[in-house]
Amino acid sequence: MEDPEGKKILVIQTHGVQTPTRTYSPLFYAMAAAAMEMEVMVWFTMDGTNQLRKGAAEKVQLDPTSHVTLKTMLEMAMDSDVELTVCQQSLTLWDMTQSDLIDGVGIMGATSIIDLSLSADHVMYF
Amino acid sequence: MAEREDIHGCIVHKELHYSVEDHTWVRPNDDGTVTVGMTDIAQGLAGPILHARIKKVGTVRKKGRPIATVESSKWVGPVKLPVDGTIAVVNETVASDPQVINRSPYTKGWLVRIQPDNLDEDLAQMVTGQAAVDAYRERIETEGLTCAHVADFED
Repeated sequence: MEDPEGKKILVIQTHGVQTPTRTYSPLFYAMAAAAMEMEVMVWFTMDGTNQLRKGAAEKVQLDPTSHVTLKTMLEMAMDSDVELTVCQQSLTLWDMTQSDLIDGVGIMGATSIIDLSLSADHVMYF
Repeated sequence: MAEREDIHGCIVHKELHYSVEDHTWVRPNDDGTVTVGMTDIAQGLAGPILHARIKKVGTVRKKGRPIATVESSKWVGPVKLPVDGTIAVVNETVASDPQVINRSPYTKGWLVRIQPDNLDEDLAQMVTGQAAVDAYRERIETEGLTCAHVADFED
């Protein structure tokens, strides 16, 4: 199997806090790719945007016996050098600004996602 | 039998050299290579390991770079090499039976043997013996870490 080191993966997350079971896996895959030394970005758009609002991700907990919340997953992803970026237009749609976002999240416009898609080795869409 | 210390249920073998930050250990071998693996603390934090993917023999790594990717049902992450060198041997058992890492982190569950580049220098930056026990005790107590063991844990 080819060593994936250095390849670029773009993960697009369109699901948010309304659908908790659709939130953990994209971050888990992103962390797996980062552990394999790939360059990984998770792009949050549409409903995916709302999990980045301060105080929101802490309330999403798939396993009530675990201390791990969606906030934990987001922090673990960032600690693994996964880049988290939100779509500017989606932010506006959710009536959010940069000050509403958890720390460490970048903001990019719609043209950026096109450029990123074209330059990525693979795009995963959720 | 290696001298070992039980720190709140987490086992530390005093003859090994540790990177406490990355939860890896190094055992120098007579042929000049070193064996590298995950600590008991690492396997406990990960939980039952489902897959382990180790880099190929011949891979040249700087310390701090991953030599393996390990995943459990709750965690996925890299195992970072604590020394500079080249992978000389891969423990093939781990690929087919990744939970050997949980059962035997310090013996049967080793990951790779490395031909090191600057071993003395790298070992000087790690801890061993009582210093390792003290460093792990501080980390375990500060972070409230525990080491869950599978039923047939060997170390």
